[in-house]
Amino acid sequence: MLLDVNAARKIFGGLVAVNDVTLQVPEKAIISVIGPNGAGKTTFFNMITGIYQPDGGTINFNGSSIVGLRPDQVVERGIARTFQNIRLFGAMTVLENVMVGRHVRSNTRYIDAIFHTKRFRDDENSSITRGMDLLRFVGLDAKRNELAANLPYGEQRRLEIARALATSPKLILLDEPTAGMNPNETEETKHLIRRLRDEGNITVVLIEHDMRVVMTISDNVTVLDYGTKIAEGLPAAVRSNPKVIEAYLGAGAAAGNFGLEKTEPKSTGGTA
Amino acid sequence: MSQLVRPKRDFTIPVVAFTLITFFLKFFVFKGITFVDSMIFLTFISSLYFLVTFPMNKYVQIALGILVLFVGIPLIGFQNTSSINVVIDIAIYAALALGLNIVVGFAGLLDLGYVAFFAVGAYLWAIFGSGQATELFGWQLPENGFFLIAIVAVLVAALFGVLLGLPVLRLKGDYLAIVTLGLGEVIRVIANNNPAGLTKGSVGIDSIQQPLHTFTNSLGSDGYKWQSVVFYVIVLAVIAVAILVTNRLDQSRIGRAWTAIREDEIAAQAMGIPLVATKLVAFATGASFAGIMGTIFAAKQSFVDPASFDVNQSIGVLAMVVLGGLGSIRGAVVGAAVVTSLNLVVLPTLAIEFNNLRQSGALNLPPQFEVSKYQRLIYGIILIIMMIYRSQGLVPASRKHIEVDDAHAGQGAMQGGD
Amino acid sequence: MQLFIETLLSGLALGLVYSVIALGYTMVYGVLELINFAHSEIFMFGGIVGVELLLGVLTKTTWHPLLQLVFALIVGAAASGVLAVTVERVAYRPLRLRGAPRLVPLISAIGMSLFLQDIVRLVESLFGNFNRPFPSYIKGDEPDFFAITHPLVSGATISNTTLTIFVVGAIMLAGLTYFVNYTKTGRAIRAVAQDQSTSSLMGINVNNIITVTFLLGGALGGVAGVLYALKFGTLNPYSGFLPGLKAFTAAVLGGIGSIPGAMLGGVVLGLLEQLAAQYISSSYKDIIAFGLLILILIFRPSGLLGRKVSEKV
Repeated sequence: MLLDVNAARKIFGGLVAVNDVTLQVPEKAIISVIGPNGAGKTTFFNMITGIYQPDGGTINFNGSSIVGLRPDQVVERGIARTFQNIRLFGAMTVLENVMVGRHVRSNTRYIDAIFHTKRFRDDENSSITRGMDLLRFVGLDAKRNELAANLPYGEQRRLEIARALATSPKLILLDEPTAGMNPNETEETKHLIRRLRDEGNITVVLIEHDMRVVMTISDNVTVLDYGTKIAEGLPAAVRSNPKVIEAYLGAGAAAGNFGLEKTEPKSTGGTA
Repeated sequence: MSQLVRPKRDFTIPVVAFTLITFFLKFFVFKGITFVDSMIFLTFISSLYFLVTFPMNKYVQIALGILVLFVGIPLIGFQNTSSINVVIDIAIYAALALGLNIVVGFAGLLDLGYVAFFAVGAYLWAIFGSGQATELFGWQLPENGFFLIAIVAVLVAALFGVLLGLPVLRLKGDYLAIVTLGLGEVIRVIANNNPAGLTKGSVGIDSIQQPLHTFTNSLGSDGYKWQSVVFYVIVLAVIAVAILVTNRLDQSRIGRAWTAIREDEIAAQAMGIPLVATKLVAFATGASFAGIMGTIFAAKQSFVDPASFDVNQSIGVLAMVVLGGLGSIRGAVVGAAVVTSLNLVVLPTLAIEFNNLRQSGALNLPPQFEVSKYQRLIYGIILIIMMIYRSQGLVPASRKHIEVDDAHAGQGAMQGGD
Repeated sequence: MQLFIETLLSGLALGLVYSVIALGYTMVYGVLELINFAHSEIFMFGGIVGVELLLGVLTKTTWHPLLQLVFALIVGAAASGVLAVTVERVAYRPLRLRGAPRLVPLISAIGMSLFLQDIVRLVESLFGNFNRPFPSYIKGDEPDFFAITHPLVSGATISNTTLTIFVVGAIMLAGLTYFVNYTKTGRAIRAVAQDQSTSSLMGINVNNIITVTFLLGGALGGVAGVLYALKFGTLNPYSGFLPGLKAFTAAVLGGIGSIPGAMLGGVVLGLLEQLAAQYISSSYKDIIAFGLLILILIFRPSGLLGRKVSEKV
């Protein structure tokens, strides 16, 4: 297992935000974490990335524990992320944003920067090269000199992915990558996520509300509700799981099993 | 692409003309130190700004720059040491502003106790370069030991930056401001209380040696003028290094990490930037600029006391950085020049003019309206007006576009790995 | 024992003054998340207005010194309250409406603080010395009313000054607690502190509530200013800075944004400062406050009574 989360728990005040959640992510998988608002999905991500420390349980990445590491150390181990509410460095250019992601993969020291040593020049050149490659990958190379804050919404989301990729991750956590996108952009993003895995050998865990995305690209789906895992399995199985439907639409809806159909009328393939 | 860009206007001739005219006016006509004389001098100094800002012939630019810095200003300084002393003070404050700009402008850490590091440098030379050292340790450094202590001060101030920064840099913005304000006061109160007889308390330390003094003294009655030139050359060298270092750090992964932290701490951390270490580096770098300038300040004044390092100094430097434009290197220098000349030239000479008018009976103004007493009032108005109408400053920061050429053609995003 | 008791009483009085000033910081911070740097000058201004009123008008009447003081307190509070509202209108509101980054209003507040120091000095110096003494009430053989002392246990005494500060301070703290907890406006202030946009959706005029917050915080500052002059005997345009810084420390100590926290923090700080000055070193007493501030922020960043809030990611 690339990522092995066992019984992770997070408590805020008296509220159990994440309650003994277990998640196993094999290499080169695309795993979705879904659940109603406030189910603890983002908190779960924050625990993996070291922004919050878990109050219980273990998190192993690549065979060793990452509990207790600072966020920057987690990045160094090979986990990158994006944010639900885009958090770019608005006053920096598009290329600079991506170059910030190269921080953990470059060794320029203070002295190198002041004296412009060979190490500095090599680092700088490789950061620019890699950054431009990634911008081309997400289709933003022409906008490299624009300030990130001036990009339209969809491009900001893609820039955030490029910035995360710049850290050369083995695993990328995407927090609602298609939120606020139109169907066209959503389709492109889906394609992008597949390419991450197929061409980049990067494992993907995503939080997603758009069931069209979840159902079509996930190898496996985990469902959280009130901080607890209520279901896990293949997309089709999860979709017809009465507990999941209940979580999304309340007890009454489960009987009819039209729940997910109703929230996602364009869902392909109908109910299983 | 280049033919599509409208050719930039060339300003070589107007800038050269401006520089020469103001120089000759100052040197031959307005030789004195009245308000008008001083304003002419400041106008001449401002040619340096036009020189670096307006597009002009590269060679002329360099030649004119050298002429202004190494011929024009020293010549005027020889006529009147007060003129060159103003430039020295501008350079001292410009280095302070550059250092504080790294902390506040680049990294977004509001430090209101910055002057503490200036005090550390100043006391370092004050103690080791005066009779104080003889009293304390039985020996003192020779006058040219100054150069050693100046370098040591860079390191000591940086160390102080780390020591003070470690406990406080975990704090969020506003808390940091108030704690650094408190720390700055703590350093001053400690100096005031004369711990272990080190600082001589509120009396201050006097007769601090000046570098190359024996040499300048041997030059006869003009010796004190040459002493000013010595300080002038030293501050020019330091400011040049400070600008170079700031620029290079800004355009490296360190500078990008600072800006990233300023923009969004959590995102920066989640992109692999160690928060505390990166902030500490900013703090220490800013502190080191203040440290070395402190030693120069002590030597130039030949006297140091705790009153020189009160919170108004910190806020004065902050006003310079804000006025120039947070995060803007050129802005920090411009801000320092504007505020320093306002404090040391415009207000005092204006006050003298008012006094003369009053004595001649032409103006009936009560003596309370002496403008030089109201620095804070002027700082205050500058800060408020700038925040309301132009919070980006006089010379706003702009992100430099990174050059991308064919050499940066990669192998495709997904093949690149590490 | 006598010394210890008197140090405690003096520290408690000082602490109450800090508490009343700290409330101004904490209320504004609670609502706007802004350190109102100018609050130290707002507090000083009310004190000076109160003292001027006493010197210029009230001491010429035959009123009882306490009655005179009550008038000075009311007028000082009004002056500071109006000034606080003006400062908010001029220096903070335009920035808030523009949604400026957080550093911007903070710097504007520092500017306001500097401006007020010198403008008060300018005006005061037009009429004489800008160091203003608290009036003396010695009449013939009668001692100054505020200097009269009453015996307590173990030979310790308490002066009318200290008693007055106890009573006025307690009334202020109790009054504010009542106002914030049991009135409609108080509820609105708490709502705005929790969430501005939701409050406005619930029909609260957020700008009005912010004005009321500044008015109240300022008025409390004015009261504290007059009490401060009473306790220390003199005020000048720069007197606000240090107690302002300490009161802010008190607010942080108690947990910034928390009203009971500011009260507790002020009292704790005042006691500690007075004890340290008495038993350790009076020249280092100011450092004690800042040392304490730094320790608190490192080990308990949310203060004694503050709630821990984690930023939403």
